[in-house]
Amino acid sequence: MSTASPPAVALESIASCFEGIIPASICTCSRDGTPNLTYLSIVHRVDSLYVGLSYQFFNKTRENVLQNPFVQVVVVSPTNLHQYRLDLRYERTETGGAVFDRVKTRLDAVASQTGMSHIFRLRGVDIFQVLDCRPMNAETSGEGPSRVDYLSQIEEFAARLAACNGLESIIDASLDALSELFGYDHSFLMAPDEEGKRLFTLGSRGFSESGIGSEAWIGEGILGVAAERREVVRTTNFSRDVLYSNAVRSAVERRGEDSLLEREIALPGLPHVESQLVVPLVAQDRLLGILCLQSATPGRFLSDDERVVRIAARQMAASMALLERAESTKLQAISRRPHTVQPTATSTVKHYQADDSIFIDDAYLIKGIAGRIFWKLVQSYAQNGRVDFTNKEIRLDVSLQLPDFKDNLEARLILLRRRLQERCDFVNLTQVGRGQFRLDVQRQLTLEEQS
Amino acid sequence: MESGDTVSIGDELKTFLEGPVSVLVGTRDSRLVPEITRAWGPRVFEDLRRISLCVPLATSRKTLDNLEANGEIAATFSLPTNYRTFQFKGRHAAAAEPDSTDLEAVERHRDAFAMVNERLGQPRRQVEAFWRGEIETSAALVKILFAPEQVFDQTPGPDAGKKL
Repeated sequence: MSTASPPAVALESIASCFEGIIPASICTCSRDGTPNLTYLSIVHRVDSLYVGLSYQFFNKTRENVLQNPFVQVVVVSPTNLHQYRLDLRYERTETGGAVFDRVKTRLDAVASQTGMSHIFRLRGVDIFQVLDCRPMNAETSGEGPSRVDYLSQIEEFAARLAACNGLESIIDASLDALSELFGYDHSFLMAPDEEGKRLFTLGSRGFSESGIGSEAWIGEGILGVAAERREVVRTTNFSRDVLYSNAVRSAVERRGEDSLLEREIALPGLPHVESQLVVPLVAQDRLLGILCLQSATPGRFLSDDERVVRIAARQMAASMALLERAESTKLQAISRRPHTVQPTATSTVKHYQADDSIFIDDAYLIKGIAGRIFWKLVQSYAQNGRVDFTNKEIRLDVSLQLPDFKDNLEARLILLRRRLQERCDFVNLTQVGRGQFRLDVQRQLTLEEQS
Repeated sequence: MESGDTVSIGDELKTFLEGPVSVLVGTRDSRLVPEITRAWGPRVFEDLRRISLCVPLATSRKTLDNLEANGEIAATFSLPTNYRTFQFKGRHAAAAEPDSTDLEAVERHRDAFAMVNERLGQPRRQVEAFWRGEIETSAALVKILFAPEQVFDQTPGPDAGKKL
């Protein structure tokens, strides 16, 4: 590595040029002197003196780079469309390590989201030394520093989390605070299921439909890749990513298991999402969920936003892990309180054994484990008039066949409670204390078991 | 590159080249160091074998030096709406001052380019930054002219770079 003087324009001062919001162009030259000019979807800024380019296909650009290390790249600022020339010299190709992993996660996430995983495969990241960086027009300047000080908001965020006493309040307080303190107005939180195969939505803010109960595969799409790798995925111009994918598309492979996902409830989402920031919630090396922020504005989430949300997500995950531990060691006495009110209106609750789906008066409520729990509760209510239950007894109830290798009951109960709030105004599930909840029924229920 | 036969540009390709495409020109100096500049107002000649482009003097001095020194040129035309991209390689013939028809082509091209980007969500005022700087500093344009010897489909993907 040779020593180099810093470029005329510091890469840090034009950081948004390296977010892949506007495609860059690259000119290489073969040994015999023929230039080759093509486009790049993103130039990755490694540090103040190095950039990385993804190597996916062996093409003329790469052939030329191996023959002649001198390259010029033009990047475009999304904030003012100023163009900058970067004179580069190829140094090496990395096939592992931090830079490679970062590039790979983003590429895989977008490829998976657009059904292109079989086409986009990262072979390496070519590392180039930046010999110079200057405006295409000498009269234009850099973007100027755009550093925002988030310190007081982070402090307030941590304070609000510290005041939470349960998973549900952590979810609500976090999503509210992300909007009120940082202006992230469209967000949702998903938790992994008991088998670690799917994610399900537990809370959201700023969408026309809450999407609570909707699911996504872990390992697929932007949400699933972020969860599987436990890495942040940030997209800055999704419609361009999709255009790019469509240009490359030759076939789409669909996974046959799609029918196993929750299909009745759509994922929360903006109709025209351009920017997405997906941050895994990890504590003690365990995936507790993902936090997803969306915006209809291209380039809404930049590297500073990523840093801030990483800190917020760590706080959330740590709080979730702490409460989980506190809850699981606590044993509550079962209180039995016979139901005395006899409501006049009646409704029919149907349970389909095949997938544990629940329909109330033929309207879909929920399926899977949450459906099984609900069926158990209403049966107990109908037969014995029970209204008060504890998390502990549900967890130990063999008839529910709850997978015991992961303790996810709290999340399932929140899901069930929220679906009831949204879909049914005469059955409520209210938390009455730590590890205790009450089934509140305002109608006569007829139960029907369907195979 | 050895100078070879020139290619004939079909009507469909001519329409594409003269549409709302992003146009970049690549050249290189004697040390094989590449240089990129942005070009405007592409025109395909009636013989369908030559293309002229206008480059701003303010941003293209090295490009013009390179063309004068060795003539090697690559020009890439890309449609922002679907990434359909073609690259032409050939030898530069001559630099000249643009005439009124060339300048009209530049105006028309910039207008169409701004409109297509507006549809993609980029405000027109911002797109104009692609040429406003030049107009404010040094508005002079230079016409360059070349006869393509090779055409490549450069649309992104594993087949990018396929020779037509």
